[in-house]
Amino acid sequence: MEIYHIKDLSFAFPEQEKKALDTLNLSINSGEFVTVVGRSGCGKSTLLRHLKSVLTPHGERSGAILYKGQPLNAADLRTQAADIGFVLQNPDNQIVTDKVWHELAFGLESLGLDQQTMRLRVAEMASFFGIQTWFHRNVAELSGGQKQLLNLASIMAMHPSVLILDEPTSQLDPIAAMEFLDTVQRINRELGTTVIMCEHRLEEVLPISDRLIVMDRGAIIADHTPRAAGEALRAAGHPMFASMPAPMRIHAAVTRQGTMDSQRPLTIKEGRQWLQDNMLQEAAEPMEQIVSTGKTANPNPVVVQFKDVWCKYEKHGADIIKDLSFEVRRGQFYCIVGGNGTGKSTTLSLLSGILKPNRGKVLVEGQQPSAMKVRDLFHNRLGVLPQNPQSLFVKKTVELDLYEVLSDVKLSSEEKKAKVDQVVAFAELESLLAMHPYDLSGGEQQRAALAKVLLLNPTILLLDEPTKGLDAFFKEKLGAFLHKLRSDGVTIIMVSHDIEFCAKYGEVCSMFFDGSMIASNETNTFFAGNHFYTTAANRMARHLWRDAVTTESVITRCLNSR
Amino acid sequence: MNRGWMNRRTLLASLLILVVIPATIVMGIVVMDDRKYYFISLLIILYTLIPFAMVFESRKPQARELIVIAVLAAIAVAGRSAFFMLPQFKPVLAIVIITGVSLGAEAGFLVGAVTGFVSNFFFGQGPWTPWQMFSFGIVGFLAGILFRIKWLRRSKLSLCIFGGLSAIVIYGGIMNFSSLSLFGSNSYTKESIIAIYISGFWFDLVHAIATVCFLFILARPMLEKLDRIKRKYGLIER
Amino acid sequence: MRRDSFAAYHPIVNFGYFVVVLAFSMIFMHPVFQGIALISAVTYSIVLNGIKAIRFNVLYMLPMLIILAAANPLFNHAGVTILFYMKDGNPVTLESILYGIASSCMLITVMVWFSCYNKVMTSDKFIYLFGRIIPALSLIFSMVLRFVPRFKQQIRVISVAQRSIGRDVTQGNVVHRARHGIRILSIMTTWAMENAIETADSMKARGYGLPGRTSFSLYRLDRRDQTMLITLAILIAAVLIGASAGENTIRYFPSIHMKDQSWLSAVVYTAYGLLCMLPAIISLVEELKWKFIISKT
Repeated sequence: MEIYHIKDLSFAFPEQEKKALDTLNLSINSGEFVTVVGRSGCGKSTLLRHLKSVLTPHGERSGAILYKGQPLNAADLRTQAADIGFVLQNPDNQIVTDKVWHELAFGLESLGLDQQTMRLRVAEMASFFGIQTWFHRNVAELSGGQKQLLNLASIMAMHPSVLILDEPTSQLDPIAAMEFLDTVQRINRELGTTVIMCEHRLEEVLPISDRLIVMDRGAIIADHTPRAAGEALRAAGHPMFASMPAPMRIHAAVTRQGTMDSQRPLTIKEGRQWLQDNMLQEAAEPMEQIVSTGKTANPNPVVVQFKDVWCKYEKHGADIIKDLSFEVRRGQFYCIVGGNGTGKSTTLSLLSGILKPNRGKVLVEGQQPSAMKVRDLFHNRLGVLPQNPQSLFVKKTVELDLYEVLSDVKLSSEEKKAKVDQVVAFAELESLLAMHPYDLSGGEQQRAALAKVLLLNPTILLLDEPTKGLDAFFKEKLGAFLHKLRSDGVTIIMVSHDIEFCAKYGEVCSMFFDGSMIASNETNTFFAGNHFYTTAANRMARHLWRDAVTTESVITRCLNSR
Repeated sequence: MNRGWMNRRTLLASLLILVVIPATIVMGIVVMDDRKYYFISLLIILYTLIPFAMVFESRKPQARELIVIAVLAAIAVAGRSAFFMLPQFKPVLAIVIITGVSLGAEAGFLVGAVTGFVSNFFFGQGPWTPWQMFSFGIVGFLAGILFRIKWLRRSKLSLCIFGGLSAIVIYGGIMNFSSLSLFGSNSYTKESIIAIYISGFWFDLVHAIATVCFLFILARPMLEKLDRIKRKYGLIER
Repeated sequence: MRRDSFAAYHPIVNFGYFVVVLAFSMIFMHPVFQGIALISAVTYSIVLNGIKAIRFNVLYMLPMLIILAAANPLFNHAGVTILFYMKDGNPVTLESILYGIASSCMLITVMVWFSCYNKVMTSDKFIYLFGRIIPALSLIFSMVLRFVPRFKQQIRVISVAQRSIGRDVTQGNVVHRARHGIRILSIMTTWAMENAIETADSMKARGYGLPGRTSFSLYRLDRRDQTMLITLAILIAAVLIGASAGENTIRYFPSIHMKDQSWLSAVVYTAYGLLCMLPAIISLVEELKWKFIISKT
């Protein structure tokens, strides 16, 4: 049965020439798992919001949206509220009440169900999602992943026949994201609920999707099975192809011309199989055991040093950092990876002087950050880009915000202007200067925040999860910026879950576990030495070429072995 | 402003003032032998909250209205923790006044009353809760009304004067009265009233200074932010 | 947190109980009634909060009782039994001293009852009770409770971020700190407002605003609660009968007068004592029962 039928839908936001949606035609069947992708700003969120009347934005609209054969507006709001479930991007923002049980029942209360029915549905959902153990908790105590699961459960309690998700995992760490996507898949498979989802994590999502819709500038440019849509993108030479899963890109780069749909690898497993079948059989060259010395050949002076550092938050609490030692040299791009709660953020807090080590020494350019005056530490020395760039914005336009940083720096107004102009040019903010910082997209906010931090001339830059929520396009841009900064001699220390990004841009990578550094090495060697905690391309090809870490290097090896 | 809406509250309020409150006082005098000032005043202050609650509920407010009120009240409560280093320096009154000016008298009252209730939820409820709810609320309400009749303007000076006065006269006045009601009828003497107000004066003065400081720095950016939000949400001024 | 047996009853029982005992403590100034209420309130607060309650009662409530009791005769000069004259010529009377003690006793009792109330009446119960009468306001209440910890967390995040561009709240003089504090609050306001737009969307997406909203509850009024309600009603009725017979009243001015004790007084005293001690008794009985069950197995 056809759930949605969209005919010639066009839409423009008020006072905007450009159409956000341009003559879209789309039909979605009951039970399908549809993934919508596209760069940020391509109109995918706008499209999703058109699928539910209360969320539809204001503006000029033409065309028709049919829901189960009827115009969507004809379906009354009560039916829509229950039938069309909508999960938004930010797990925190969607939660309305203070208790898990209340949040679960929120939609049911709106529908006006009786006590008995509500009890049953709440109980069912809590069991299906494994919420029983935290049913009575305050939502403030939940992790990000739990919050997003709660949002999903609260919507599923209303028994929707279609579930729409707008980038639901962009704020989650990889493990929580996997768990969330697994649950969505379970809902689709076990309950037959139609799923329409925007998502950046294509590596995980494409294997479970029936259909992939690619959007660009408000139009649909591909709409097929994931494999065929990927092929269409490749054939068209579209930049979106760069965000397809690694096996698909490697296969496409190596085979060039079109192959049968079923032969195109999508998952790591298929990719490995395909390499096995098609590449010259050469056993992985035995890697000499990598010894984690943490020492590299870099001759530059050490700028950040941790010496036997121990740290805990409470007097009788457990140690968060245990015997941590490492050093970062001038101009290095130093990546710190590892799971949640392994001490990564504590390390950043130690570096920026918020925490003091209980034992051992933390030195930034030879001085202890916790003993330094804040001005001395953060002016011309240490720059910190917080995880949430929004926490830096003060003023109502980007331009005012940039000048605000310099408000207590002693410079003439011409000098200030010169500095701001320079950083604006660097971060490509010219067109955004007059906008409110909160009206920028995630990637633009990141750039504006970076510009703010750069105004204080940092020589060492700390980045906390800078790629969170960014799409592939903005990540590449961020990578290029960081590269430029490094060439100016800035040292970069980055904490990230994003293995692919670290592998592509990092110079040294370190893995945290249980409060200390388990392994640390030059990026390529580091990932080559890992089995599981490594890039998709490496997982796919490591049985042939253990040190091929990035997609590009696997492609080169493939072409050479022909 | 919606006429019917205004009338209903006026009606309810007059009913309360003319019938229910006198009846309570009569009950206090006749049945309870004129000694239960504390109890009676508590009841009366609770009554004053009722018309606001009823009007708000019967209007079936939309999601965004609830959100704006909840966010402002939560900022007022959480704001205290931003000033952990300056005890007695509370932003509540300033935020309530700004709300009244920007979003109208009703929103001002509700933000004030909700803030009073919830902050006591964190710091402990007591017999002072209804008094605080009422005092914060009425300051917000007055700010809204005075702004509507153009006695109060969006200028820093005007807001700061109102803020300082309302902290001492309205908030301080009501809260001091509430402590006085503890001592029963014979304590309503000139000396005791003066003594209570003098002992409370320094607290009120700090409160007034804090409110003026907050309004001085916060008023303009906060009003701008609320204007932006009104545009974005499509909240029309009532 | 210790789970209290009385707190496990239906919210109507909890809330009704506190309304009644608070009102009674404020109304009945009769010394016997005051004594009963104060002792019961303190007992229950210790049952609920243990050592912490003892510390609270001794450190804060006791001094307050003494100060308030002493303050009254300074202002209040009514009464016929004049003990002595102050320097300014005003008399200090026995009645006003006793009245001071009584009214400060009343205040302390109310405060201690409230400390119990704060422990027993959680937000869940409050929202349950008022979710039907004032649905929008109790939803606001729940939302504020949700936002406050979130905003506090965000204030921390913002102050760390501000610190990292050279602005520290904990350094500098008072004016400096206040300015930084206000800046943080201002940043937080923008953040909160902008993010709340998505919260409003989420409410709308889940049908908020449809007519006929109901209210989910975790609670069920079971037989135990009904028994409890009936017991409470009987005790309250007994106390009120006593009140109408003048058993609970005392006159302080111009001279102290109360009704003579009779068999009815004894009945009313017992009823009031039972009423006030009920939560503590329930807790004790449950504890004994539990010990008994444990020892059997």
